Amino acid sequence: MTRPLAPDVVRGLTEIVGAANVITDPDRLLVYESDGLSAYRVSPRAVVLPGTSDEVAAVVTLLHLEGIEIVPRGAGTGLSGGALPTPDGVVVGTARMNRIIEIDPENRLARVQPGVINARLTEATQPYGLFYAPDPSSQSTCTLGGNVAENSGGPHCLKYGVTSRYVTGLTVVLAGGRIVKLGGAGRDSAGGLDLVGLFVGSEGCFGIATEIEVRLLPIAEGVRTLLGIFETMEAAGHAVTEIMGSGLLPAAVEIIDRATIEAVEASIFAAGYPTDAGAALVVEFDGTEAGLDLGADRAEKCCFEAGAREVRRATSEAERAALWKGRKKAFGAMGRIAPDLLVQDATVPRTKLPEVLARIAEIGERYDLKIANVFHAGDGNLHPNILFDRKNAEELDRVERASTEIMHLCVDAGGTITGEHGVGIDKRGYMSLVHNETELEMLRSVRAVFDPDRLFNRGKVLPDPLAET
Amino acid sequence: MSTTTGSGSLASALEAQRERLLPCVHCGFCLPACPTYNRLGDEADSPRGRLHLMQAVVDGRLDAGSDAFHTHIDRCLGCRACEPVCPSGVEYGTLLELARETATRARPQGKLTRALLAVMGSPALRAVFFLGGRTLRSLGVARLAVRLIPAGARLGGIRLAFAMLASSSPPGRRLQKAPVNAVPSRAIGAVAVADDDSVGPVPRGSRGRVAYLEGCVQRGLFERINQATVRTLEANGYEVVPVAHQGCCGALHAHGGDLRNARRLAGANILVFEGVEIDYVAVNAAGCGAAMKDYGTLFESNQEMSTRAEAFAAKVRDVTELLSQAGPRRGAPVSCSVAYDHPCHLLHAQGVAQEPLDVLRAVPGIDVRLIDRADECCGGAGIYGITHPELGGRIGRDKVAAILREEADHACTPNPGCMMQIGAGLLLEGSSDVAVHPIELLDESYRRAGYYSATGDSQ
Ligand SMILES: Cc1cc2nc3c(=O)[nH]c(=O)nc-3n(C[C@H](O)[C@H](O)[C@H](O)COP(=O)(O)OP(=O)(O)OC[C@H]3O[C@@H](n4cnc5c(N)ncnc54)[C@H](O)[C@@H]3O)c2cc1C
Ligand code: SF4
Ligand code: SF4
Repeated sequence: MTRPLAPDVVRGLTEIVGAANVITDPDRLLVYESDGLSAYRVSPRAVVLPGTSDEVAAVVTLLHLEGIEIVPRGAGTGLSGGALPTPDGVVVGTARMNRIIEIDPENRLARVQPGVINARLTEATQPYGLFYAPDPSSQSTCTLGGNVAENSGGPHCLKYGVTSRYVTGLTVVLAGGRIVKLGGAGRDSAGGLDLVGLFVGSEGCFGIATEIEVRLLPIAEGVRTLLGIFETMEAAGHAVTEIMGSGLLPAAVEIIDRATIEAVEASIFAAGYPTDAGAALVVEFDGTEAGLDLGADRAEKCCFEAGAREVRRATSEAERAALWKGRKKAFGAMGRIAPDLLVQDATVPRTKLPEVLARIAEIGERYDLKIANVFHAGDGNLHPNILFDRKNAEELDRVERASTEIMHLCVDAGGTITGEHGVGIDKRGYMSLVHNETELEMLRSVRAVFDPDRLFNRGKVLPDPLAET
Repeated sequence: MSTTTGSGSLASALEAQRERLLPCVHCGFCLPACPTYNRLGDEADSPRGRLHLMQAVVDGRLDAGSDAFHTHIDRCLGCRACEPVCPSGVEYGTLLELARETATRARPQGKLTRALLAVMGSPALRAVFFLGGRTLRSLGVARLAVRLIPAGARLGGIRLAFAMLASSSPPGRRLQKAPVNAVPSRAIGAVAVADDDSVGPVPRGSRGRVAYLEGCVQRGLFERINQATVRTLEANGYEVVPVAHQGCCGALHAHGGDLRNARRLAGANILVFEGVEIDYVAVNAAGCGAAMKDYGTLFESNQEMSTRAEAFAAKVRDVTELLSQAGPRRGAPVSCSVAYDHPCHLLHAQGVAQEPLDVLRAVPGIDVRLIDRADECCGGAGIYGITHPELGGRIGRDKVAAILREEADHACTPNPGCMMQIGAGLLLEGSSDVAVHPIELLDESYRRAGYYSATGDSQ
C-alpha cells in the first residue's frame, strides 16, 4: 500500500494546477500503475497533470521541498517500465501539455510542448511540405517528451537517424524547480558542451522536458517499397547484408519471421503473406524521383540473388500500405493469439543476425516458448516477442529465464541490451553486462549534475552503487 | 465462451465475460482517438484506463460501486472511436455496456438517465413525451426558451434540452429555396462530389424488400426523415414494406448498461420483423443501426435467441448503405454547400464512412466540405450534454466551431442524435441553421427531379 500524500502537499499541488488535475484517490490511481510494459505494477501516491512549464516548475519545487520522488510520464507507451511509478513517488504527466507552439518552415524547426503526439507534429507540418523524421511504430500515440527521454527510433531511422539527431533545443525543469534552456534555435548559436545531446535519452532521470525544439525535413518526393518473400530467415538475412553492402541507402529494412507471419495471417489483419515462407523482408527507398527505381531494381536483384521466392513492388500509396501491413500489424496480431506478450529489444551487429536468430530459436525450443521476431534488420535492432500467459506462473518463470538468456546472447555477439526501448526498470539488471563499475559511476556522476538528490525516476536505469545493494 | 449473465447470477456482467478484456495489451494506441482523454489528459478518462478499471473490478481490486468506476465509466461518450484504432481488436463497445450494467447494479444511475430510459422503454410514455416535444417546438416555445434562459448557470441543462428540441425542426424553406442551377462543385479533402455516372430509373422492388426502423426519436421528432427514407429507397428500386407494432430498438438501454431491458426491447422487435418477408432492415439513425447490427452479441448467452438475433442483424443496413449500393440514382440540382460530419456510431461502430457521401454525390450542385476532425464525437452521445454539461459542452463547442469554419449553407450529418446536438450547438452560438440528414437533401433533389410526381411511381 502506498502512503497517501500529506493534506497540505495535496493542497499545494491543487493550488498550482487545479483540483481536477491532482489525482489522489487510490482507485483512480490504479490506471497509472503500468506503462506499455504491463508486467510491472506500482501505484503512485498521486498524479499531477500540469499544463505549462511554469506549473511543472512549481510542482517540482514543491515536491522537491518535501523530498518526494517524481516520475515523468508521457503517453505511457514505453516498453521498459520507464514511466512505472515508484512506490514513494508522484507521477507528473504531460498529457495536457499538447500544444504545438510554433512551426517555423523557413528554418525547418518546430517548437512543441512535451505532450504533443509524434504523428500530430508530422500532420501539422505536412502543409509546409515538412515532416518529423523519427517514426517509432507507436508514433500515432507516443509523445515527443517520451521520445526525447527514450531517444526513440523507428523503421525509417535507418536512413534518417534517431531522435537525438533532430532535437535542437530543450527547456527543462530540474530538481528544485529550476528552469534551464539547453540549445535552441537550431542549436548553432549555443556553443559549449552539448547538453541537449546529454539530455536526449536520459530516460526521465535528469528532469522534465517542458518544451522541445526539433528539426524538420522536407517530405521526400517519391517512395518505392519492396516486399521480398524468402524460404528461410538465413536467406533474408543474406539479402539484407547484400543490400547494405552494395552501397544502397534504403530508408527502411524490416524483417518479420515465420512465427510472426503466421500470427498476422491468422488474425483479421491478414496481409497476404504466404504462411509457408520463412521470412518476409520490407525494403523502402525514398528521396527524389530520379534514382528511386534504380535503387529498387538493385535491391530486388539482391533479394533474388539471396534466393527470394518472390519480390513484390508497390508504386502507389495503397499498394505500399498493403506491403507494410504485415509489419505494422504484427504487434496487435500477436496480442490476439496470446494473452501476454514480452517485447524484447536488443541490438547485434548486422552481420551476426542469422546466427543470433538461430540461437534465439533454439532458446525458444529449449524453454518451450513461442518466440516471434520482428526487427529493424538494417541496423541490427531485434525485437524477439515472447508469447505467454501470465496466469501460468511456471510459464512466466520460463519467459524470464529465456529473456535473460537472449540478453546474454546479444551482448556476447557484440551487441547491446536495448536498441530503442530504453533501460527503465526492466533492463536495469543487465546494465552491468555492458558497463563496468567505472562506467556506471560516470553515468551516476552525470546524472548527479542534473539531479543530485535522485528525485527523478529513482531506481530506474542505473543500478545502485555496489555499496548500497 | 459465453456465460450466462442473467439477472439471477451473482457474478457481474463484466466478470462473466472477462475473456473480452484479455486482448488489451496496454499499448495505448487508443488514447489519441478518445475525446475525453484528449481534453482531460487523465489516463482514467482514456479507453485504456477505463479498460484497466474494468480489469481491476474483475480482479476484485476495485469495487464496482466505487466513485472511480462510476465516474469514469459514466464519463465515456460511448463513441467507440477507440475501436478501429486498436491493433488488438478489443471490443470496447460491448465491454462498456457490460461495465455500465455492472456499475449500475452496484450503484443506481442518475435520476435523469433512469427517467429517460423509462420513457423510451414504454410506448405510452414515449408518445406523450414526444407529443409534448412537438407541441413546444411548433409553438416556438423551444426557440424562445433558448433565448430567455440565461447561458451557463444552473439552468444550462434545460436550455440545452430546449435547444436540442428546437434544432429538430425541419430545415423547411431554407432547403427548398436552394437554387436549382448546378454550379460547378468543388471537392474538399477526400470527398467526391457529383459526377456524371447517372443511374437510371429502376422498377420498384427490383432491388429487394426493405422494412425500416421507425425509431423513437425519429418517429417522435424526425418523421420527415422517415418519410424521406421511404421515398428515396423506393426511388432507388427498393420495395418498402411497413412493419406495424415495432418499438424501441433498445440502443439507449444497452449503451446505458440496462441490458435486461435492451434485450426485452430487441427481442420484441426481432419477433415483429420476423413476421414480414424482407431482405433488409433500413435504419436512418446511427446509434440504432449500430445496436441492431450487434444484436447477436446482445443475446450471445442464449443459443436460440442468438441465432435469430444474428439472422436479423445480418439484414440491418444504414439507409445510406442501401442507397449507395443502388447507385444511388441522381436527382435534380440543389445548389448549396454542406459542412459534413461523421456520426460515431456510423463511422466507428459500423465502419460506414463513404456511403453517406455517395448519397450526397447523387445530388448535383452540392458542395460537400468535410469538417476538421470529422471523425471525432460531437458530444451528443444520447443525453451526454445534459448529464455532463461542462465536458459535453466543450466537445460540442469544438465541433460547432469546426462546422462554422467551413462557412457552408448547412451542417449535414446522417444521424438524428448528432443533428440535434449540432443544431443545438449552432443555436446556442446564435446561428439559426439546423443540421440536415443527407437523405433529406437527396429527397429534395428527387422531388425537384419529379421522381415523386402524380403517378406515384418512381419514374
Ligand atoms: C506498440 C508499440 C510500438 C513501439 N515501437 C517503438 C519503436 O518503433 N521505436 C521506439 O523507439 N519505441 C517504440 N515503442 C516504445 C515507446 O513508444 C517509446 O519509448 C516512446 O518514446 C515512449 O513515449 P511515451 O510518450 O509513451 O513515454 P512514456 O512511456 O510515458 O515515458 C517514457 C519515459 O520517458 C520519460 N518521460 C516522458 N515524458 C518526459 C518528459 N517530458 N521529460 C522527461 N522525461 C519524460 C518517462 O519518465 C519514461 O522514463 C513502442 C511501444 C509500443 C507500445
Ligand atoms: S489500443 Fe487496444 S490493446 Fe491498445 S491499449 Fe487500447 S484497447 Fe488496449
Ligand atoms: S468510446 Fe469514445 S469516449 Fe469512450 S473510451 Fe472510447 S473513444 Fe473514449
